Amino acid sequence: MNAIEVDRLSRKFGAFTAVDDVSFTVRQGEIFGFLGSNGAGKSTTIRMLCGLLRPTSGRATVGGVDVAGDPEGVKRRIGYMSQRFSLYELLTVDQNITFWAGLYGLDRARLARRREFVLDMAGLRGREHTLARDLSGGWRQRLALGCAVLHEPPILFLDEPTGGVDPLSRRQFWRLIDTLSADGVTVLVTTHYLDEAERCHRVALIHGGRLAAIGSVDDVKSIFAGRPIIEVRAEQPVAAMSALDAMPEVEKTSLFGTAVHAVLRTRALSIEEVRTRLRAQGITVETIDVVPPSLEDVFLDVVDKAQNARPSGGAAA
Amino acid sequence: MRTILAVTRKELRQIRRDRRTLLIMAFVPALFLLVFGYALNFDVRHVALAVEDRDASPESRSLVSAFVNSGYFDFVAAVHSGAEAERLLDRNDARAVLVIPEGFGRTVTTGGTAPVQVIVNGDNANTATAVIGYATSILQTASAGLPGAATVQTLPVTMEPRVWYNPELRSPLFLVPGLIAYLTMLMSVTSTALSIVREKESGTIEQIRMAPVRTFPFILGKTLPYFVISLLSAALVFLASQALFGLPMRGNWLTLTAMLSIYLLGALGTGLLVSTISETQQVAFQIALLVSLLPTLMLSGFIFPIASMPAFLQGVTHVVPARYFLIALRGIVLKGTGAFQLLPEFGALAAYAGVMLGLASLRLARERA
Amino acid sequence: MGRLRVLIWKEFLELRQNPHLFGIVIVAPILQLTMLGYAATTDVKDVPVVVADGDRSSASRELVQRFEASRNFTIIDTVTTVSEIGPYLEDGSAWLALSIPAGYGADVAAGRPAVLQVVADGTDSNSTSAALGYATALVGGYARELLPAAAGSAGGIDARIRVWFNPELESRFFMIPGVLALVLLLVTANLAAMAIVREKEVGTLEQLNVTPLRRWELIVGKLLPYGLIGLIDILLVTAVAVFWFEVPLRGSFGLLLAISLLYVVSTLGLGLLVSTISDTQQQAMMTATFFFLMPMIYLSGFMTPIENMPTVIQWITYVIPLRYFLIIVRGIFLKGVGIEVLWPQVAALATWGLAVIALAVMRSSKRLN
Repeated sequence: MNAIEVDRLSRKFGAFTAVDDVSFTVRQGEIFGFLGSNGAGKSTTIRMLCGLLRPTSGRATVGGVDVAGDPEGVKRRIGYMSQRFSLYELLTVDQNITFWAGLYGLDRARLARRREFVLDMAGLRGREHTLARDLSGGWRQRLALGCAVLHEPPILFLDEPTGGVDPLSRRQFWRLIDTLSADGVTVLVTTHYLDEAERCHRVALIHGGRLAAIGSVDDVKSIFAGRPIIEVRAEQPVAAMSALDAMPEVEKTSLFGTAVHAVLRTRALSIEEVRTRLRAQGITVETIDVVPPSLEDVFLDVVDKAQNARPSGGAAA
Repeated sequence: MRTILAVTRKELRQIRRDRRTLLIMAFVPALFLLVFGYALNFDVRHVALAVEDRDASPESRSLVSAFVNSGYFDFVAAVHSGAEAERLLDRNDARAVLVIPEGFGRTVTTGGTAPVQVIVNGDNANTATAVIGYATSILQTASAGLPGAATVQTLPVTMEPRVWYNPELRSPLFLVPGLIAYLTMLMSVTSTALSIVREKESGTIEQIRMAPVRTFPFILGKTLPYFVISLLSAALVFLASQALFGLPMRGNWLTLTAMLSIYLLGALGTGLLVSTISETQQVAFQIALLVSLLPTLMLSGFIFPIASMPAFLQGVTHVVPARYFLIALRGIVLKGTGAFQLLPEFGALAAYAGVMLGLASLRLARERA
Repeated sequence: MGRLRVLIWKEFLELRQNPHLFGIVIVAPILQLTMLGYAATTDVKDVPVVVADGDRSSASRELVQRFEASRNFTIIDTVTTVSEIGPYLEDGSAWLALSIPAGYGADVAAGRPAVLQVVADGTDSNSTSAALGYATALVGGYARELLPAAAGSAGGIDARIRVWFNPELESRFFMIPGVLALVLLLVTANLAAMAIVREKEVGTLEQLNVTPLRRWELIVGKLLPYGLIGLIDILLVTAVAVFWFEVPLRGSFGLLLAISLLYVVSTLGLGLLVSTISDTQQQAMMTATFFFLMPMIYLSGFMTPIENMPTVIQWITYVIPLRYFLIIVRGIFLKGVGIEVLWPQVAALATWGLAVIALAVMRSSKRLN
């Protein structure tokens, strides 16, 4: 059974279409990544799925419940945590847990059990009586996650949960998500950190309110099948980039830090050939390799295609 | 000078973007003047009068007519028992009850003295005093006009009252200047009270802290646009008062503008000071209301005469700027008081503005350090 | 019920952590009530009088002595000619000028009618009418004493004016229950106006919205804790009114408490409504102050009687809850009336409260649109 089914969902704000005819499904127990730049429509989609925002058109079910027809029914089945840590800052760790548990109607015994779980999970033992205000970012975020899963929801929505948190805390946080997923919880997470997306079972790329690609990380990378990517490090990266662009076999280039990525139209062009041609133009090449596509490559490719293909729209899966 | 202008330009641009605040600042004072100016009125007219006429003679009826025709009383009910009269007073359906005893007509036509009772609801002492005055004079006139009354003895000493400045004793002429002072104060303080604390909350204050701007020019630059808007708004309110309520202008426009300007500077300075000492908008607003709304309403002489307050409270009124501005404003428009006579008030207002702007600069400078 | 209980528990935990709570809930209301209680008086006492005594006889000194002895007047200076009184009135140091013409003493001794002139500053129309009334009464009484004993009063009307509810005509007794109502309004409405919009700004409201919490639970969960604060304030301000200002509480304390609670619940409901229709705290504060509190203060009958207002504005006052509550508190305090008289006001207040709370619940949609 699918935990989430989205069918041609749209949301308009006046004349602006924030989410445009989006369809996808999320399987039970899956970590599903929702990727896109700011304003791409990620948060709007997640808010519709949580019953916070009414869809303009289309249908979606979460845990088998229609989000437009019974938003309150959806709310009983899900956990939600957003980029703004929605804790009461003037309450202690313990008080926050008791409060959110009370809203979900946990009885005394279950509260005691879940409290232990959350304290362990978030590593907050010994800090039960600290005010949430006095916790550092990583603690707060784990506490917020803990509060969102107190009622053991089968489906969890995380809206940019790691925004503004240090890398170490982000890593710890993702370990928690893995654990939850292993226990059968379906996780839909939005992020614009592409390294985080690599940890998802499946991802969907959304751009300009439209779904641009969907599938496992390998699946979405397969748009580069037959289009190898070479990474060039040169002393003059900008010059190298324009030289590469001038080659007919090169589809496009982009700068990744100090390295240049070039997408080739064909496998026929060898690395050595490229090195020779660059040297002929007086460019000192330090390294040149064929690299596997990263999600960043995919993302840039998808954005490019979507922009070229307007107004007919990007390639929806 | 250039820094002042730069800060001013930035502030103006921000105000222009925040349409709602701009509209509130510019037009709400005039709107409020329109409503409150008409609502605030001490002139007691149309007093609801119940009549218990136990005599029902031509004489008693003519006494009742004397009350109704005076224009001060409106006949609301004829009652037949004391209990009924009491109920009307309890329910505020009547403010006064006229009780004419049985045999009134016979007694007065035969030259006797008949007691006539007027019961007045005294809850609002102010209104009651006026009602008592009206009733007394109507009864005196009626008494003198009675056929059986002895020729009126001329009293050896009489008083001839003359009222200056407001000969008809119209209360709007007293209250509208107060309303002007109140509205300008409230607008100026609340608009600036949030200006710096908002930058604190959004974090832009950090940038200003780093920028090579001296504190005092910064404060002045922030004040200037609000000063201009408030001045225009006050001018609008003043012209509306003249048009709607017949507020005269017997003094000098220049004196008035000078007074208004220095009063506004003090008010804006108060708002800025509140803004610098507050950490959140909520606290800023609470303090702004506490230091501007209530004192200007209650302790400035706007409605309640300062002379009637206990001595310690009269002392407190000396730090309320509206007190001085009201003396000046009423003086200029009603009495035509000259600039020279208002120097003490101008001095007090200037001192207040100086202290407020100075303290705001100091607070801000300390925070930047 | 469980959800509501944790919601209320959470609200108290947050309130306990609020460093300004004691100030807002305990100190501010007491401070406001005492200050305003002293300030809000329309009694006219110690009217400053300048005397222009052109006679300087023992008779004129005796008359001046009468003014001096009255608690209504204070003689601030004595000059010789009428032309000298101008500056006193102009700068406001005297409100009345009593001018005794030369030859006054001789006239009185010879039984010739003497005319005194009283010049009044009409700026404060209200106090001036009262002062003129006192002066007329004083001069009239003095004149009657000078009449030869034989010329006693003849027949006519014997006016017997009785004042109910407040026989001493103490304006405090009328104003303080009003100030009490105003202070309760300011404290509760401001507190509630911030309650929901703050959670909106911080983001906890969105988190609450994804829980099974119902809309009415959210509103009631705010209403009850703040209602308790309101109750504390009711007891506090009533105690100050009764024990400090010695306003007579003639009616039932239980009834006063019950209706005050109803009133506080409706003002809290109003605050919550403002909170649900605002996006930021600043908007909430502006809306609450300018569109609710100010009109209420001016149009409720707190400042000036509603019956003095133009008809159109009187209609507006019907939607102002403070209007009804003022009638209720003044009725219970001064008249000692009970629910049998006050039920229409109580019904209006209850309807109003239910309406705003229902609106607040409806506006607090769990969906963002």
